Formats: sequence, C-alpha cells, structure tokens
Amino acid sequence: MGMTITEKIMANNSGREKVVPGELVWVDVHTVMTMDYLGKQCFNKFRSLGKTEVFDKDRVICVSDHLVPPPNQKFATMLNEWRAVVREHDITHFYDLGRQGIAHQIMVEQGHVLPGKISIGTDSHANTYGAVGAVGNAVGVTDAAVAMATGKAWFRVPEAVKFHITGEWQPWVMAKDLSLHIMGMMHWNGHLIYKTLEYCGPAIEALDMAGRMTLCNMTVDLGAKNGIVAPDKVTAAYLKPVAKGDWEPLQSDPDANYEAVYEVDVSKVVPTIAKPHKLDDTVPVAEIEGTPFNKAFVGTCTNGRIEDLAIMAKILEGKRIHRDVNMIVVPASQDVYLQAIKKGYLTTLIEAGAAIDTPSCAACAGIHTGVAGDGDIVLSAGNRNMRGRMGSKEAEIYLTSPAVVAASVLTGKITDPRNL
Amino acid sequence: MITGKCWVASDYVMAYDIIIQQFWTSPIDKEENSKWVMAGVDESFNKENGFKDNGYTFIVAAHNFAGGGKSIEHVIAGLMGAGIQAVFADSFARLQFRNAINYGLPFVTSKDIAKGCETGDELQYDPSTGTIKNLTKGTEFQSLPAAPFIAEVAEAGGLMNFVRNKIAAGEPIG
Ligand code: SF4
Repeated sequence: MGMTITEKIMANNSGREKVVPGELVWVDVHTVMTMDYLGKQCFNKFRSLGKTEVFDKDRVICVSDHLVPPPNQKFATMLNEWRAVVREHDITHFYDLGRQGIAHQIMVEQGHVLPGKISIGTDSHANTYGAVGAVGNAVGVTDAAVAMATGKAWFRVPEAVKFHITGEWQPWVMAKDLSLHIMGMMHWNGHLIYKTLEYCGPAIEALDMAGRMTLCNMTVDLGAKNGIVAPDKVTAAYLKPVAKGDWEPLQSDPDANYEAVYEVDVSKVVPTIAKPHKLDDTVPVAEIEGTPFNKAFVGTCTNGRIEDLAIMAKILEGKRIHRDVNMIVVPASQDVYLQAIKKGYLTTLIEAGAAIDTPSCAACAGIHTGVAGDGDIVLSAGNRNMRGRMGSKEAEIYLTSPAVVAASVLTGKITDPRNL
Repeated sequence: MITGKCWVASDYVMAYDIIIQQFWTSPIDKEENSKWVMAGVDESFNKENGFKDNGYTFIVAAHNFAGGGKSIEHVIAGLMGAGIQAVFADSFARLQFRNAINYGLPFVTSKDIAKGCETGDELQYDPSTGTIKNLTKGTEFQSLPAAPFIAEVAEAGGLMNFVRNKIAAGEPIG
C-alpha cells in the first residue's frame, strides 16, 4: 500500500520508511511561527525548558499581526514586551509593524514554508501552508515552545480524505466559493475532525497560489488537521523567487489509502455565501440576493491577497459604493499593499469609496480595528461568522468571496457578480 | 480513581465561549483563566467564578467540544483551574484535544455518555481502565483508553514537564 503526501511528509521528517494513520510520531519541524499576542508566552515557556537559544534563529518566525498598530495602551504595551523578547533571542525574521502582515500570508509569501516539510504556528489558520505542499498545522504555545527548544513536535498521523476537483472554473467563481460549497456539502458532522484533506484534480492544478491558500486556510474550519495541495508547476514558479531553503516535489502514491473520496465538478459551483452564525449554513448567493447589509470587509488570511484586490478593482472600476455601505479593505501584508498600490487597485477602490486599513487581522477576530457593533450586518470575505466573532453579539456576519462583496457594495444588497 | 460532580454541556460548545474574546490576550494561567471560564456558554457563568463556584469535577459533552478552531491554551488552563479533572464527549475539536493532551487533562472519547448524565450527577472515572460510572444513576460507560504516549505525558504532568525531564536527562524526545 502506498502513502498519501501527508504520510510521506510525516515519515520523511521522522526518519521512518513508512507511517500509518493513528501512529504517534515526533517530527522535525521546518519552521515555527508565533505572533504578537501569544509570542511572549511562547518564549517564556521555551525558557522554562532550560534553554536560552532557539533551535534555529532563522526558522523561528515572529510576526506582529493581531495587535498592530496598537489601538489602545494595553496592546501597545504588549507589543513592546513582545519586541523586547524577540530581540533578546536574536530572531532573524521578525515581521514587525512596517514590515508586517498576517502571519500566514507572511509565512507563505516570504518562503518560510516549503513543500515536503512541516511548519507549525500558534494560530489556527496555519493550515494555510498546505497550499505549497507543506504540512501546516496550528498548535498551542506549549507545542511552539517545545519546537523552539528542540525543533520537534509530536503528531498523530491523520487518516486522509480526498477532494478530487474537476471541471472548468466559471466567471466570477473563486476558490472561496468552492471552499464554502464544500463546507455546506460536508455539513459539519464530525466526519472531518483530525483528518488530512487532500485537494487534487484538474481544477486544483488550474488554481493559482492565492486560491490554494484560501482552500487550505479553511480546512481548519472544517475541523481537519491539515489541508494540502501537492506541489506542481504553479508551486515551483511561486516559490522560485522566495523559497528559503531547498525542497523536493512529493506526490501521493496512486495506491494510497483514503477514508473517503469526494468528487466536485467546479463548473457547477456558483458564487456561494454562508449565512450568519454558522459556517456550514451555505447557499448559492442567488438564493438570498437582495438581502440588505451595511458593512463590508475584505482582508484576512483567507482573502486579503493581491488576486482578491484585483477582482474587486475590476468590479468597482469607475463605480461608486452604495451610500449606505461602509467598506473596509485590508491587504494581507505590506507586500500585498505595495503591489496593490503599484497596480492601481487601491486607487480604484478608494475612488469607489472604500477605506483601506493597514495590513493586520483588523476586524476579523473582533479585537482590533473596524469591529462590528450592535445591529451591524456585515458582508465579509473572512473565514468565521460565529455570533460575536467580529465584535458585537448583536451583529450578523455573512461570509462570501471578494467578488460577491464587490458586486454587493455597489447595490447595498447581496448581489451575484454574474448579474452585474 | 476520580470522583465528583459533572456538568452536562450541550452540543458544539465553542472554545470562544469557554474563554471569551476579551481574555484571549491575557496570560495563560490556570487561576486567572478559571475566573471567567465558560462565560460565553451560559449567562449564569458570566460572572467572576460563575462556573468555578459550582465545584464540578467533570464535564460531559456531545459533539465537537471546544470547537470553532481557536488554538488558545487559556481554554484548557481555565478548565483545570476551575477544578475540572476530565472531560467526556462524543468528539472533541482537534486543537483543544491537542492542548488537553499537552496539559495532561484527560479529554476522553465516550460515545453516548451525554445522553446518560444530568448536571449534578456524581461520576467516578478510572483512567487505567477507561470506565466511567454514574453513581447517581447506577449506570456505566466505557471510553477509549489513552494511547501510551498520552498516558506518559499525563504521568509527567504535561508536555512541558515531559520535555523538560528529557532535556535535563540528555535523552532524545522522540
Ligand atoms: S486574519 Fe483572522 S483568521 Fe486569519 S490569523 Fe488573523 S484573526 Fe486569525
């Protein structure tokens, strides 16, 4: 019996020929990411192990994303303590305010995650790293501290579920729509908990890295351990200018074992939206067209990339956002921000009436800028819509793609971009 | 053998409701995190020591306990600080399942236990056999025994101690 790509990665990085699902293995970790509001606690725990130097200063990646720029004194002080501890440990890659971005975007765009390797981060959306064919996994500060000290983490080898995606992508349909479609199709039922989700097939090969990141990002919200796309030409081209280290291509064996295989024809996937409070309560946008909302938010580790800003600029070019809608756009990193300026996308968005916020998690987790208040109905391109997620428990959050958000801000009502 | 009162949770208790947003940026500390643990789950717990003062030893839950995808360890620290010594459920969200293992708090998978217990029932849990007895109702449930590595970590008092001991002894950890 062959192995899946995730099994191979776990075997290769634990010095074994073969691993099987259910086995517990200690693996070598390629990179460990931590960020502003948990990072200091990681370093404290790490030191409590009796260590003063991290396993590799180039491979502990520190990012300021949830709290920057600080909106209040408490966060300003936390950031100062965070900076002090990162400097004290002489960490090579510190993406602080001015060079910041959402950690998961930074990890991928700066080449800190590589195919065939394992990277962990103290934030749930570390699953994003699967987009380049890495095993990306979210952990708590204990695991991060242990990995900072030893370069290792323990894992249970997960059972695999395959999503084989065929067909042609339709106009205005994005990876986010596929992701929400799968969320609705699987209807959270415990089935995907602890599993590795493998996305493959011609429609995945046709997908750019931004789309692959969106798909893998949301595997954590499906309850899975990780999501992964095997590296191919797209991956190689993306990594060439940025990869920090060598890598080798890996694929699942044709006779690898899957607990389940799902086929999705992407030609039939339409613009999709999750209704307030539940991620798996998804419907085609067409079904709820005309629903009013008052706030729009595009950013986050799910949909704050240049490709997302590009599609919005295309829709909003020369048009004005509806007067009753407040729209905030947050590029996922300084790099994305700069590219968007150079390409003119931000000019287009600002002319249309959008506010641009500095790269950060912003309102996504409800603890930073642009949060939702009582009575707000938010149309968001983020990843979570539980009650209270973006601030007030009296707000409602719809989740959808950047294209749907852009089409909808023109009318002030939920709008299918295909009808523009 | 551990004996004590249980609190029965509903399906899908979210990590975010166990520790609400305003405490995500607090230090991870059993005592501190326990004061407001469960604040978002039930109005009666939304006051200082609101959950803790009930003196529960166990939580009995159904599906996807501590779900919603938050990786913060405050959740586990808060439960432990509130006196919880084991959680029984049909299924657990993976991030908190992992954190629980790392803290040595048994998250025990046991099918259908939620249907057989009411809040306030006296339970008895034997970690060595995985047997859970409901002393109030005179019923018994079986759970999956923990894997050897998990038991070893629990024995050491959590992953930090486990690794600290290995480092101090100059032994490889894996
Ligand atoms: S953008 Fe949102 S989901 Fe992503 S890391 Fe930040 S808070 Fe978490």
